[in-house]
Amino acid sequence: MNRGTQVVICRVCSEGAGLLDVDKLARVASDAPGVCSTVVVERACNKKTVLEIVDDAMAKEADRLLVAPCSKKEISPALFQTYAKKAKMNEFLMEAVDIIGEVTLPHRDDPTRVQPKAEAKLRSAIVRINMLEPLQRTEERMRTSNVVVIGAGAAGIEAASVASAFGLHTVIIEKSEKKIDAPGVVMPKSRLISAKGHAGNYILTIEVGEKRETLECAAIVVASGGDWREAKGPIVDELQVAKPLHHLEQEIGEGRLPGGAIIILDTPDPKGIRTPAQDFMWEEALHCATHIRRKSPTTEVYLVFQEMRAMGLAEFDYKEASELGVKFIRYDSKKPPKVDTKNGTRLIVTDMAQEETLSLAFDTLYYASVAPNPDNAAIAVALRIPISSSGGIRRGSIQRGPVATPRPGIFVCGTAKFPKSREVARLEGKAAGLMAAQFAAAGKWEFGGSVAEVTSDKCSACLTCVRTCPYEAPFIGIAGKAEIAIQMCQGCGICAGICPSKAIELHNYTDDQLSAETAAYLGGDF
Amino acid sequence: MADAKPKIVGFCCEKHGTESVDLAIRSGEQYDASVRLVTVPCTGRVDGLHILKALEDGADAVFVLGCLEKNCYYDTGSIEGRKRVEYVRTMLSEVGIEPERVEMFNASSTMVWKFPEIASTMSQTARRLGPIEPRGDTK
Repeated sequence: MNRGTQVVICRVCSEGAGLLDVDKLARVASDAPGVCSTVVVERACNKKTVLEIVDDAMAKEADRLLVAPCSKKEISPALFQTYAKKAKMNEFLMEAVDIIGEVTLPHRDDPTRVQPKAEAKLRSAIVRINMLEPLQRTEERMRTSNVVVIGAGAAGIEAASVASAFGLHTVIIEKSEKKIDAPGVVMPKSRLISAKGHAGNYILTIEVGEKRETLECAAIVVASGGDWREAKGPIVDELQVAKPLHHLEQEIGEGRLPGGAIIILDTPDPKGIRTPAQDFMWEEALHCATHIRRKSPTTEVYLVFQEMRAMGLAEFDYKEASELGVKFIRYDSKKPPKVDTKNGTRLIVTDMAQEETLSLAFDTLYYASVAPNPDNAAIAVALRIPISSSGGIRRGSIQRGPVATPRPGIFVCGTAKFPKSREVARLEGKAAGLMAAQFAAAGKWEFGGSVAEVTSDKCSACLTCVRTCPYEAPFIGIAGKAEIAIQMCQGCGICAGICPSKAIELHNYTDDQLSAETAAYLGGDF
Repeated sequence: MADAKPKIVGFCCEKHGTESVDLAIRSGEQYDASVRLVTVPCTGRVDGLHILKALEDGADAVFVLGCLEKNCYYDTGSIEGRKRVEYVRTMLSEVGIEPERVEMFNASSTMVWKFPEIASTMSQTARRLGPIEPRGDTK
């Protein structure tokens, strides 16, 4: 299995800073166990050189490759591709050891320690590569290329249009009866009940009117939006003229201006739980306020906020708003504004700076905050995606992309995440539609590789992995032992780290491999 | 007892952890050469065993660097990682080893200042505490 490792050291990059002795590094490599060939080349990214070193690897029957001193990202991908194609080397047995990034660059000020540290790093990388397993990734064909969009708001319609422009069949699930002009199929009065399957092959159960239907799809876009009508609280109860801020934006966009004094208030329910800071709202409230004052300088505009944070360029809007005479009133969250019980067109608010109670007359009151859609919880449970503490669908880490959820093939956009303007929602819809379309149009879904595996003899079926995995990959199989659904496994190894019986190992990051690598690195004395 | 060349191991997650280190290095930051980084896919993969073995193999201090808890690539990975680190720290204090030798840190890939800070904190700790003293009763 383990025939030997070829170590390729690139001279140009190593000697760049003048701190490394390449020949000494090469001796360290050739003395290390498991290394069958050590080549020092001028430039490993050179096409001709690559062909020569591949020939050398084939002649020495090496099945592993370790390239120094750059990181895998910096080395030309053609090098690894040639090894895979010509020498049939497994992609999981090709590694790079980033000596420049980890040793030369950050220790220029400490040159005497550079060479010994580089040698130790190389030794530990050789220990690691000798212990790697050749792994395979599996491909699964998607049965359909449908894209399902949940919600027919601004974001949802945009997502469906973008995906259908890709030539994919789109289905929009909308709970209301409203007439929707969107490409593909629109299913009014329908809602998502449950979902099965994994990325590329999801099977959804949908309730349409009274009937239940199943729907297969490759990717899903959640655009469930928000629901300001659900806002409850003393102000809403007493007020007839209360609208969400995006209505004002739309009116302005259509060239209409509200008549009479207006108040923009940050949260629809000042007595309830304080709405978490929503960065969109400061900017948009400022934007609307300056626009109104510019067009109609006699209209009174009040911004009643617990806090006004104008970030970045919005600072200019803030300056302009103050100059145009927009009145900013900051209140204490312990003393929320109230509508005058005798007169429904006056808002009573205590200004925090002056500590004076004001009674403001207004014609329309706008909420700069939108309550989350109450259906989000059910959607999140059905699709097994996380929900935030404020009731919005939570996206995955930003490294997965701005509209991606932690589950592959499921994307989220618009107010479903947190309230935002129609314009931003539409842009996000575009992004989500594009990502979903790209995902679905690939026609196949790759998984496997460095994933977790259970040794059933050691498993005590304690359910720890089942409870801990963020992706619901482990389950208790027919044999009464834990098993990992590799289609769901994303290779984080949380289960391997937590398993009390040490029954789970993450391929290529096993306990033995990690400890051996650490020990080898610690063995270096510098 | 100051140690001129302490041994520090850093288990670094492949996502935000490694990227924050990369960014610091490419921005020209310098840090103590005693820090040895070992890449793991996620800090959730780190087991107390890895930390303890590293200490046994001669490390004076060990740290774990993962994503910010609310922006972890693997959702709950860095929270799980922190739990393991806390567990190891309790174990260490039980056997009379300073728990400060083991620390958990979080960084996002854009926090260029974070890694040099971590390296200097750990290096100071390791230098201040010196090598781990075997307890008298174990001979």
